[in-house]
Amino acid sequence: MGTTTAEMILTRETIKAAESPVKREYPGALVVVEGIDGSGKSTQLYLLKRWLEIGGYRIHFTEWNSSPLVKSATRRGKQRRLLTPTTFSLLHAADFADRCERQIMPLLHGGYLVLADRYIYTAFARDAARGCSPHWLRNLYSFAPTPDITFYFRAPLDVAVNRIVAGRPKLKYYEAGMDLGISLDRAESFRIFQDRILNNYDAMVESDNFVLMDGTVRVNKLQKLMRQIVGERISLQQFAPKKR
Amino acid sequence: MKRSEKAPGKSKASKAAPTGNKSGKSAAIEPPSRFYGSPLPGVKPEELSGTLVVIEGTDGSGRSTQISLLTEWLESEGFAVQTMGLRRSYLVGEDIDGLLAENTVTRMTLALMYSTDFFDQLERRILPALRSGLIVLADRYIFTLIARAAVRGIGRDYLHGIYETSLRPDLTFWLNVRPEVAFDREFKKSQTISYWESGRDMSLSNDLFQSFIRYQSMIKREFEYLSKRHGFIEMDGESSVADVNRILRKRIASHLGIRSTHYRPSHALSHLWR
Repeated sequence: MGTTTAEMILTRETIKAAESPVKREYPGALVVVEGIDGSGKSTQLYLLKRWLEIGGYRIHFTEWNSSPLVKSATRRGKQRRLLTPTTFSLLHAADFADRCERQIMPLLHGGYLVLADRYIYTAFARDAARGCSPHWLRNLYSFAPTPDITFYFRAPLDVAVNRIVAGRPKLKYYEAGMDLGISLDRAESFRIFQDRILNNYDAMVESDNFVLMDGTVRVNKLQKLMRQIVGERISLQQFAPKKR
Repeated sequence: MKRSEKAPGKSKASKAAPTGNKSGKSAAIEPPSRFYGSPLPGVKPEELSGTLVVIEGTDGSGRSTQISLLTEWLESEGFAVQTMGLRRSYLVGEDIDGLLAENTVTRMTLALMYSTDFFDQLERRILPALRSGLIVLADRYIFTLIARAAVRGIGRDYLHGIYETSLRPDLTFWLNVRPEVAFDREFKKSQTISYWESGRDMSLSNDLFQSFIRYQSMIKREFEYLSKRHGFIEMDGESSVADVNRILRKRIASHLGIRSTHYRPSHALSHLWR
């Protein structure tokens, strides 16, 4: 009683096995944009989406944190400030799982080009900045399909932070990373939090095959480049409208 | 270098290394960690002076009855008790109830909502209780959550990975009952069998009894595996309430250093004592 044997311990080795990436066995494709707030990723994905929509391609657009499933819990947690790094992370993972199982996977199997504004790398960068273990996070999201292209929009911290602060009357508590107790000043806390996230993103560029996009380049020029890369890496033909 | 004084009343041989090394514990053999892997962010294991006792078992195994009785016994012995259970978190407890009622939720989402529910209780109720030296009686723990998700095809290693940051119980009791007995008890209690407890989302059988038996047998097999992996104290949940309770008290008493295990339920709980 009270003793511990080797097999009672959950070893790192056993968990590693769960990290093998999801095998691609569907006709669809997945294009993802990532980056800190204010990096320009959403604008660029919107323009990519418009281009594909106008062309009549079979696409679906999905956002991080958009499912009604966990909305009430997230609201309750945020309003009352009950979320810890772990529950914050798990709640978003549950939300993502719902989207993954009910939208993304069926659409990929049904031959759609799926565009995602933020993906699992958001969780890796942000939740690790909150103190969750990167290893734990990788396992948590190991059920997610690997994107065909991950665009990483990178803007210098000052540029990104100024874009956000200028456009927003008040930074929200969790958004600013106030739960971490870094600084009592919201703008300052936001800045430090975003800096940590930025560093975490940078660390994934190679390991996760990010396509690095310079967020300071003019919008239309950057969009031209984005469309070109999508055209090169994905055979858009298969998503084109069927000719009768 | 002086050895630390052993706590009085604890018969267990101290595994801890001499405490002279103040700067770090890396050099010496560490005592078994209170967490399976790295502890939750911001938690200091050495602050947790309370005791975590887990009672696992399927519906109809007598868990709730035993927890009511143990709570009364421990309180009469002067120990403060906190309880936890599934879907009892403030954060998502009600949301899960809603999801279960709808039956549209998918397996991964449900598994992760349950883990959110678990960690919300662990971090905001259980850890504070253990810091204050309370006895926590858990009406089910991560093991039920792992078993339920595993029989639905979610990888065991994946699940253990999620719960890697959870607290290792001091004692885990498994009240083992045959599915047929669990069926009889549940039916007697509520005149029906629940959709989820009979695993109807898994399309095992259109017959509710068959579905229940097959599902509970699958869960039981997972528990047999978990029992070996995590060192459960397996108990015959089909014995009388009084017999099961006597054994539970004995094991808990010896862990806590309580001398007397004598107990008779108060009038309020005497109806449970059959």
